[in-house]
Amino acid sequence: MNTIKNFFKPFEKINAQQSFVIYLIWFLIVFGFWFISAGMSETHLFPSPQQVLTGLVDLYNEGLIVHIQSSLWLCLRAILISVSLSLIICYLSPVPFLQFFSKVMSKLRYLPLTGITFYLVILIDSGRTMQIWVLVIFMSTYLTTSLLAMIKEIPQEEFDHARTLKCNRWEVLWEVVIKGRIDYVIEIIRQNLAIVWMMLVTVESILVATGGLGFLIKNSDKFMNHGRIVALQIVILTVGLSIDFILDRSRRILFRYSKL
Amino acid sequence: MNYTLKDTILYVDNLSISYDGKVVIKDITFEEKNVTRENLVTGQTIAFVGRSGRGKSTLFKALTGLVKPNSGRVLISDLNSSEKNSALQVKEGDVGFVDQKYTLFRNKTIYQSFLFALRKKNITAVQKEEMINEYLKNWGLEKFKDQYPCELSGGQRQRTAIIEQIFSSGHYMILDEPFSGLDVGNIENVKEAFQLITNQHDLNTIIFSTHDIELAVELADSIYVIGYPTINGKKADYGTIVMHVDMKKLGLSWNKFDKAHLTVVKEIKEAMLLS
Repeated sequence: MNTIKNFFKPFEKINAQQSFVIYLIWFLIVFGFWFISAGMSETHLFPSPQQVLTGLVDLYNEGLIVHIQSSLWLCLRAILISVSLSLIICYLSPVPFLQFFSKVMSKLRYLPLTGITFYLVILIDSGRTMQIWVLVIFMSTYLTTSLLAMIKEIPQEEFDHARTLKCNRWEVLWEVVIKGRIDYVIEIIRQNLAIVWMMLVTVESILVATGGLGFLIKNSDKFMNHGRIVALQIVILTVGLSIDFILDRSRRILFRYSKL
Repeated sequence: MNYTLKDTILYVDNLSISYDGKVVIKDITFEEKNVTRENLVTGQTIAFVGRSGRGKSTLFKALTGLVKPNSGRVLISDLNSSEKNSALQVKEGDVGFVDQKYTLFRNKTIYQSFLFALRKKNITAVQKEEMINEYLKNWGLEKFKDQYPCELSGGQRQRTAIIEQIFSSGHYMILDEPFSGLDVGNIENVKEAFQLITNQHDLNTIIFSTHDIELAVELADSIYVIGYPTINGKKADYGTIVMHVDMKKLGLSWNKFDKAHLTVVKEIKEAMLLS
């Protein structure tokens, strides 16, 4: 009884087993509500679990895995380009003459998508390349902002420590900012990945190109196939969370000292 | 106790530092000489005391070359010169510095940190390894050599930070409040560390700051009080040296703490309260 009371006490520490029980309860509540409400609702705004399952099977038969691969490949290429671009810009930001680029890149996050796509259409003729560059531009602006904040938050003592160990200024940059904060970069990529993953589906559905999860959503949307739409949302969420989990675990395994 | 003063090892001349137009320290001048005792290796231990905000940390940053003074200079012995009493202006890396947080590279284990600190020394890899192992053993860090800073206790971090600076810099070591927040056991460990350093080489010089005046009087052979000076009856708002106690001249250095030391403690505290 006391244990249950503790579930409702603010700031109460609970162990992993109790935490599992709480999650299980909420899982059952949500799914129970879904099962009951889908059966009772007359408007059919929300599909029943059976409809979602059917939608998922249909999607699988229509090549869902290939579309997931296509989206992941697009995401990976966009991430690689934007991470490289943002890291170069940010790592050079401590150089006063080059700081300009990082500041400008960070401010560009307020630019609207439409304006950017207009110029990209003129410059790029391949739909897929355009999707990549739309994502690169967006992710780079957010990544640059987060990376700049990371550099700004490094305590002055860490720079001074490197300097007292006879590091010249470039060595300080290498040891303290680049090598010393690799785990932070992974964490920042993980946090910004959610934006890219969300944008990716939008970009795929806006720009006509071959395949991808966004393309599938757009198609399902057109025919008001609720079961497929929710099934796709669940797939997209699961893939996104899996990438997030893999990145977080990788950081913890690769960098034992990382206590973020 | 008999001692001899030899060459100047540290000369600070009319040092002033301002941040954003605000003068933090001004007109700081002092000189420290190499102290020798017959048949004994005697390094120098210099303490800086003073109330908070009087500019001790700023002075330390200038002494380590981390901050450029607005005026004045800091000179240390040029050990590479054959000329007697030759000096050079201090620059980053010449003087070891351990800050209050015992900052280390967060991504390097103790062993990796030591290896990095030794990277510019002209000795072989085998010699470096021997040196590291010797220090790890003597300073009780052998078991922790593969641990990262986040896995170490405060005392272990402090010892690592001190050794790292010994390996990298020459004979000078500055410690900003090394006793702050330590328990009695760790205080004893730091005192032992001081002895280890000063007993190793005549030129080894420890400069430290503390709010524990008894400890400063017990350990140092030269004590400087940094405070706001009173000029024409008005207290200025910048730090400078308001008192210097030469414990060697008083015959109190290297002796057990007794009543005479307590008198010095009282005098220093009075000077601090007035500045």
